[in-house]
Amino acid sequence: MYTIADQTGDWGMPSPYGHYPRGPGYIRMSLVFDTLLWKDTKGLVPDLASSWQFNKEENSYLFTLQKGVSWHDGQPFSARDVAFTFEYIKKHPYKWVDGSVVKRVEVINDHTVKLVLNKKYAPFLHNIAGTMPILPEHIMGNIDSPVTFRESVALIGTGPYKVVDYNKQQGTYLYQANSDYRMGRPIFDRIRFIKMRQEMYATALERGRINAGQVPGEIADSLRQKGFTVLAGPHDWVAKMTINHKKGILANRQFRHALAAAIDRQALVDICQRGFALAGGNGLLPSDNRWFSKVTDDDPYDLNRASRIIEGLGYVKKDRFYEKDGKLLQFELLMSGSGQRTQGHPGEREAELIRDQLALAGIKITLRSLDPKTLDAMIKNWKFDLALSGHGGLGGDPASVNRFIGGKSFNSSRYEKNKQLNVLMQQQTGETGEQKRKKLLGEIQELYAYEMPTLPLYYPTWFWAHDNSADLFYTNQGIAIGVPLPLNKLSFVDMDN
Amino acid sequence: MHDNYKTLLKNNGMGRAGIGLILLVLLPALAAPLLSPYLPGEYSGSIFAPPSGSYWLGTNDVGQDIWTRLLYGARTSLLIGGGVALLATLTALVVGGSAALCGGLYDQVVMRFVDALLVLPAVLIAILASAYLVPGISLLIILLASLIWPQAARIFRARILSLKEEGYISAARTFGASETYLMVRHILPLLGPILSAVIVQHGRRAIFMEAGLSFLGVSDPTLISWGSMLQHALRYTYLDVWKWWMLPTGLLLSMTITGLALLGFALETISDPRLLPAGNR
Amino acid sequence: MGKIKILLTYLTAFLLILTLCFILPKMMAGDPLMALYGDEALVVMTPQLQAELIERFALNKTLFEQFVAFWGALAHGDLGESYAYNAPVAEVIVKALPWTLLLVGSAFIISALFGILLGIESGSRRGGRLDRSLLTCLMLLNGFPDFVMGILLLLLFGVLLAIFPLAGAVTPYSGETGFSLVIDILHHLALPLGTFILVRIPGIYLLTRNSMVMQMEESYIMTARAKGCSECKVRYHHSARNSLLPVLTLIGTQMASIITGALFVERVFSYPGLGNLLYESLLNRDYPMIQGILLMMTLMVLVINLLVDLLYTRFDPRVAHA
Repeated sequence: MYTIADQTGDWGMPSPYGHYPRGPGYIRMSLVFDTLLWKDTKGLVPDLASSWQFNKEENSYLFTLQKGVSWHDGQPFSARDVAFTFEYIKKHPYKWVDGSVVKRVEVINDHTVKLVLNKKYAPFLHNIAGTMPILPEHIMGNIDSPVTFRESVALIGTGPYKVVDYNKQQGTYLYQANSDYRMGRPIFDRIRFIKMRQEMYATALERGRINAGQVPGEIADSLRQKGFTVLAGPHDWVAKMTINHKKGILANRQFRHALAAAIDRQALVDICQRGFALAGGNGLLPSDNRWFSKVTDDDPYDLNRASRIIEGLGYVKKDRFYEKDGKLLQFELLMSGSGQRTQGHPGEREAELIRDQLALAGIKITLRSLDPKTLDAMIKNWKFDLALSGHGGLGGDPASVNRFIGGKSFNSSRYEKNKQLNVLMQQQTGETGEQKRKKLLGEIQELYAYEMPTLPLYYPTWFWAHDNSADLFYTNQGIAIGVPLPLNKLSFVDMDN
Repeated sequence: MHDNYKTLLKNNGMGRAGIGLILLVLLPALAAPLLSPYLPGEYSGSIFAPPSGSYWLGTNDVGQDIWTRLLYGARTSLLIGGGVALLATLTALVVGGSAALCGGLYDQVVMRFVDALLVLPAVLIAILASAYLVPGISLLIILLASLIWPQAARIFRARILSLKEEGYISAARTFGASETYLMVRHILPLLGPILSAVIVQHGRRAIFMEAGLSFLGVSDPTLISWGSMLQHALRYTYLDVWKWWMLPTGLLLSMTITGLALLGFALETISDPRLLPAGNR
Repeated sequence: MGKIKILLTYLTAFLLILTLCFILPKMMAGDPLMALYGDEALVVMTPQLQAELIERFALNKTLFEQFVAFWGALAHGDLGESYAYNAPVAEVIVKALPWTLLLVGSAFIISALFGILLGIESGSRRGGRLDRSLLTCLMLLNGFPDFVMGILLLLLFGVLLAIFPLAGAVTPYSGETGFSLVIDILHHLALPLGTFILVRIPGIYLLTRNSMVMQMEESYIMTARAKGCSECKVRYHHSARNSLLPVLTLIGTQMASIITGALFVERVFSYPGLGNLLYESLLNRDYPMIQGILLMMTLMVLVINLLVDLLYTRFDPRVAHA
């Protein structure tokens, strides 16, 4: 039995349409359902498809499927299921996959299937073939409302583990090894997820109650000394100061750089994150990201430069703060209490430090705390000056960069003023050549840093501790679409067998 | 009358202990700048420093002196406790009292309104308030008072209903005493014991609720209060810091409430002459 | 006031409160679309998915249309589908209810019993040694907020001494059945229940004691004593009967906070229950779920108040003429 602890517990029924649209929900589903391709520490590996070929002229992918695979109920798996899946998601969108990219699916024979695309789409292998769980046609074929389909047959997949129980109230999941699994041998007879407060993990690990869990950075060393393995995760999550770049002086690009230069981001890391984070860079992506490129406009902490810019804009310092035309240089900084959100989400501690730092630069900040969803709504409706927020998804395919810069969501900068930036973003999703794409992304980061519509503050470092009974690892560019958790199902399957 | 209260309070062991405890918290809170070289928001030391000569209770997760924050936090918590207790008790007394004295349809309508307030969860109200109003300590006091008073209104109503039928009050009414006169002259003094218990409970609930709302992240986390200190300390219970961060804060909270409660009891003894020992009568 | 009239006011109150419960959650900033799908950066929000979700969350309908639909469904006993859980609201509530009832219900009964008993004993021996030590102990207890008490118990008995489990309501998938399952449940229940009882007793105790102290000096008690009634009979038959009125009210009104009051303890011990459910639903802007839970709370409060109103007449016949 392998036990994984989780703070939240319930992440939805572990079926493709039942799991909540978050990383941990997908993980719980991924043990049961397979995708065409999967990823390990290096990159793409076969899953239901044993090999794949790209046809550039036709803009299509040809997949050769594994033989002898069967669904948990004994029905054989075939190319028809793959075709069915991609047709089904056109009617019933699966939350994590843009089904409109696939123009049509051709079943060549029982073990060969061809997916023809609508447009050039670089993230196809990662974000579609490597993310879309393949659905059983014989079960889902006559289901019109997959979201409310909660019969036990909704949990029939081809994956290495079968669901024995899912308990929403207790927030627990129990899986059993699928002895008919073809692509490898499941290592554990049973796997379970249980709900527990994170503060208790260290004790629970030592007592053997759990085998793995996400732990705070402070106890990483003491756990290592006790023989546990502690993994530091890649930086997938960015804490940002969102700026209302449509309002007053904040619309001024130069002024935004003055703000950036007046905030000591390393101090935020050292004091508020106790060192367990990476200071933010203006180009959005963290330095350990494979698409990262150094930008010229990185605004290191420099109060003199901040003052020069602010004074250059006609502001005069009276007492402690700058003024112009009798009006104080003053903003309201919105935030939500840090207790309830992702570990490392900026909250009152970060807000207070930023307030103090900006006061030194002559900018007056008033703080206002809101419940998390109210804060999101205020940002979405542009009812703010400055706000502390953040989001994950940096580790996956860089197509997501476009969503964080030009997307419509509240956690996007929603910045469309720079035409060149918009063009570059369109180009990079269509570019399948890795080097060319990297160059395009470098230019995007450079321009983004130049415009600075949002200030990246830091990237929190997350730790997972486990007792070595399974070989947990962080997946290259994240599991599926980019889930930054070391719970890859390959850790629970012996592939050599 | 007032001098009398004072002497009586002085002679009452519980009252002395209660006042002592409250002063023990109140005086350092008022004299905070004299008792600590730091400011509560100052990042004066390293992170999670254990107690030492320069940091009596160590430092917190961002290197602020815990002892200093405890002193300044006392100000906020006492202000919230006191303010809410008075505001909520007054509201409850007026609403519960008028419902009991007037009776009839008014009573029914008011009490159902009270029921409605009891049902609505505090978290919902706090989320709503924070979206439409700018937070601050005065808003927090009004918010907490409006969440707390309904329970007591029912208690006051119940008590007054039964007092109303006491023989001498009915007698006073037959002699033409007005309801207000009855309330102030006869009923209010009899409410003494319950009143003091309710005030103490209100102060306690206010301080707790402030802590609870910040525990859930829907209060104003930038207020330096015991509530927000507890909430922060609770996040690091896997480290040793809880021993000099959470424990002192919790104990101080407990001490204040105990002081209030003792004082309440002492006042009860004094306000109700029937309960006095023979020697003091 | 006639019984029918009272029932009518209760019915009006019920409808009014329900209306409030419908409108207030919708006044919170943000909507379920954003709350559930918003801050997850990995969701691919295609126009098609967005349209489907807007339809499902009824965001394309006016508040009035939603209101009419809400009442229409309610008339058929349908509480709707939860947005976050993709399951019928009634089903989710029914599954969480037993745990809350087990925890809060037993805590309520035990703390009320002990609180009243201690209050009566203490109040009737005012100033005695028992009274003083009880008063001091309980007043100290009175000073701890529930979540601090919970964490302290958890740190002491769960982490340091390792006597009790760290989280949850049962050992997940231990395969226990029958008697050993009951033991397992009680083992998990001990700490949250202990926390609840410890923080609840002082309030009830203090009120009972105060009330009792008053009553013990009333003339009819003197009469009863003079008549030669036994001390025990005086205490429990004469005096306690009248002291319990305000206590009864207190307990009645506390029932309302059963669900929200359990929230903190449930969160500390990761205990599955309605408090947690309500809190999550508020954060998720899961309107049907919030409305369902509030509906249940409203019903509970009104029924209990009605019972308390009726009990008054039994305990204190004078109120019946009021």
